[in-house]
Amino acid sequence: MATGVFIFLAVLVGLIIIAIFVTIGMYNSIVSLRNKVDNAWHQIDVQLRKRYDLIPNLVETVKGYAKHERETLESVINARKIGIDAQTVKEQAKAENMITGALKSLFALAENYPDLKADQHFLKLMDQLNGIESNIAYARQFYNDMVMKFNTKIQTFPGNIFAKIFNFTQKDYFEIEEPEARKPVEVKF
Amino acid sequence: MYEQIAKNKAKSVIIIIGFVAFITVIGFVLGYFIDYENSIIFMIFALIIAAISSFSGYYYSDKMVLGLTGARPLSREENPRAYYMVEGLSIAAGIPTPKIYVISDKGMNAFATGRNPQNGVIVLTEGLLENLNDEELKGVISHELAHIKNYDILLGTIVAIFVGMISIISNIALRSFFFRGGKSKSNEKSGGGILSLIFLLLGILLIIFSPLIATIIRLAISRNREFLADSTGVLISRYPAGLASALKKISESSKVRTANNATAHLFIANPFGSKTKSFFSNLFSTHPPVEERIKRLESMSLGVGV
Repeated sequence: MATGVFIFLAVLVGLIIIAIFVTIGMYNSIVSLRNKVDNAWHQIDVQLRKRYDLIPNLVETVKGYAKHERETLESVINARKIGIDAQTVKEQAKAENMITGALKSLFALAENYPDLKADQHFLKLMDQLNGIESNIAYARQFYNDMVMKFNTKIQTFPGNIFAKIFNFTQKDYFEIEEPEARKPVEVKF
Repeated sequence: MYEQIAKNKAKSVIIIIGFVAFITVIGFVLGYFIDYENSIIFMIFALIIAAISSFSGYYYSDKMVLGLTGARPLSREENPRAYYMVEGLSIAAGIPTPKIYVISDKGMNAFATGRNPQNGVIVLTEGLLENLNDEELKGVISHELAHIKNYDILLGTIVAIFVGMISIISNIALRSFFFRGGKSKSNEKSGGGILSLIFLLLGILLIIFSPLIATIIRLAISRNREFLADSTGVLISRYPAGLASALKKISESSKVRTANNATAHLFIANPFGSKTKSFFSNLFSTHPPVEERIKRLESMSLGVGV
């Protein structure tokens, strides 16, 4: 009889130990994925900040040639301000769409000023802006990949149970309106 | 992805241990013939050499490989296009921007080296930079970044150094055998005759086959790895057609002069050119056929996914 109780206790203790290890493992892997998402967001932030730093310079240069195009210039400055103040991923995405749109109309406007288009400083800024924008796209791709991994982890079994217990919530994708930038790709291994 | 990284690290450790053991055995056999009484000393000597060379192999193998292939650092002013691409794509891959080196060669090829993503180096030939359009170059760079991210570079670079060293050692050993062979036989006591004959045969076999063993190791690690880097690379560049078209161009280009047997497996495609189509060259090819790789890339359709 005593041996039966002993075996029962041993199995119970064993199961508890296994459960503790599984919990630790799951918790750690979710946290490490969440940190990867945060790091990826930081990468986007670095690039966005570069663009914010460049915009005032660009606006000043354009002003030198096209002083009375106040509306367009102000919309760029306002969009930048909204971007800097943005708190959540969704707000940030919305602000970035505004900035991209405003910059587009700024460049469309530049078409009417041949002197501006020939300005070396303006051309250099344009070049830098193109580089930053492609880096933003790459950083966004990496961020969204990480968000997908994280969300999949906390939505699928058994991650979903642990996500509930430890209160992990889904992360937002950084979405941009351009349809051609959203072309997904399917890869078979 | 993460299993791949763990596998590569484990394989690197196994190869380092195997290399040390191999050199130690060679040292012992060699010592047995050159100086029968002191063979243990030879063995210890070999062990020390092997240990030092693996240690330096781990830390400096990338520099050795860069030296072997005659690569030099590429400056940003010289080629801003390559810099923009490498920087952008490393952001997409989520790794630190690797250093960029260039080989002054009209042949088109590329490889990556280093021991981890923090010390990654990406090497492109001048021919590649001149002849590929943006999408193709992005495809190649993404493929190399995939190697860096997967830690293929650690394994590949260590193997390159070891293969090089083994072929040097077997050359030296073969020569010393011919040099000492006759003399040691006449010095022997009659009792050790059979034993020493066995050792002699073993030693000769070992030395003759060591380059072959090295080749087999090289094959075992590199073929599948290229397919994997192709698909991981496409996840970074999001444009399979770019890499496919680049591979087509690379396979039609001339060979890279500074590539040799020890470093061939590092390159994105066979650096000796894929024109030689004999059974033998296929058997010992370090790369899967380009046609097969292109076929797989073309089957990666743009569909619903990430």
